[in-house]
Amino acid sequence: MELGSLQRRYIDFTTALFREGFLDNQYTQLQQLQDESNPEFVLEVVTLFFEDSEKLLDELSRTLDQQVVDYKKVDAHVHQLKGSSASIGAQRVKNVCMAFRNFCEERNQEGCLRCLQQVRQEYFLVKSKLETLFRLEKQILAAGGSVPVLW
Amino acid sequence: MSMEEVEEAREEGSHGSMFEGGVEVRVLVVDDSPVDRRVVEGLLKRSGAMFQVIAVDSGKRAMEVLGLTEGKEAEQPTVDDPKIDIILTDYCMPEMTGYDLLKAVKEQSSQKPIPVIIMSSENEPQRISRCRAIGAEDYLLKPLQTNDVLRLRDYVRPTALSPKTGTKRKIAIEMMAENSGSERRPCLAGLAVA
Repeated sequence: MELGSLQRRYIDFTTALFREGFLDNQYTQLQQLQDESNPEFVLEVVTLFFEDSEKLLDELSRTLDQQVVDYKKVDAHVHQLKGSSASIGAQRVKNVCMAFRNFCEERNQEGCLRCLQQVRQEYFLVKSKLETLFRLEKQILAAGGSVPVLW
Repeated sequence: MSMEEVEEAREEGSHGSMFEGGVEVRVLVVDDSPVDRRVVEGLLKRSGAMFQVIAVDSGKRAMEVLGLTEGKEAEQPTVDDPKIDIILTDYCMPEMTGYDLLKAVKEQSSQKPIPVIIMSSENEPQRISRCRAIGAEDYLLKPLQTNDVLRLRDYVRPTALSPKTGTKRKIAIEMMAENSGSERRPCLAGLAVA
């Protein structure tokens, strides 16, 4: 694809991500921290987020699957997921975590299971969006262009 | 060895200091979240304020870096021991919370206690006042912003800022526990913890 269209596609895609609430200003902050001395910063942080989140989601499934659910443990995991999603600007994931914590407090297993499904959905959605974003950036750079700065 | 002792000037190449009279502030970042550790490190490196970052994933590791072990006075640090100018610690961590670490640092009497800044996602007034009451210099809400890290320099004591010659060097050392397990102790607002 030609450079101009790639860059336009990148702009449209990114704008939509923010408009639809997948990402918030915290993601922009991460982009602003990236520079020549830290050229892969965003990718590094997001990769850590992917690894950490998938581990947490597995733990959550396991913990909620027990005969007797340890809600403190569930809450601790959700707290961690909420924190890391907030740190990278994965707004929708963070928001589900907030609702999830309320169900933990109520010891509401059904509510928790629903939230787990939801948070899993939101996580994989934002993961796929971010992967697309990184792919576009790579294509732009490979085509000899520079990634549009939207802030 | 007291904090006041002047460090040897670093031996560096022919290029002198990029910052006239600039000093590097050695920050010990303590956070069990690998995402947050990396983000805070990025913030510190990019702030332009010459931070040297040492990042650890637990209060226990932090104590080791500081040369503190429970019940003992601070030992004589060797030449290799990194001296720390300021500690930036998460509140909610398994086993040893940021509060526990804060307490341990402020209680050790052989040196002037190192400034400790608490980070937390929870804006809990009781938690904040409890931390300040035992000497936390500040309490920052996560996710941290650039403004937050710029403030850190204000908390570093003047005597610790001895001018160093040489190039600006930013070192980030990740010290991971052998089992960085997923065992996380609940740290819920409202529950009696610490």
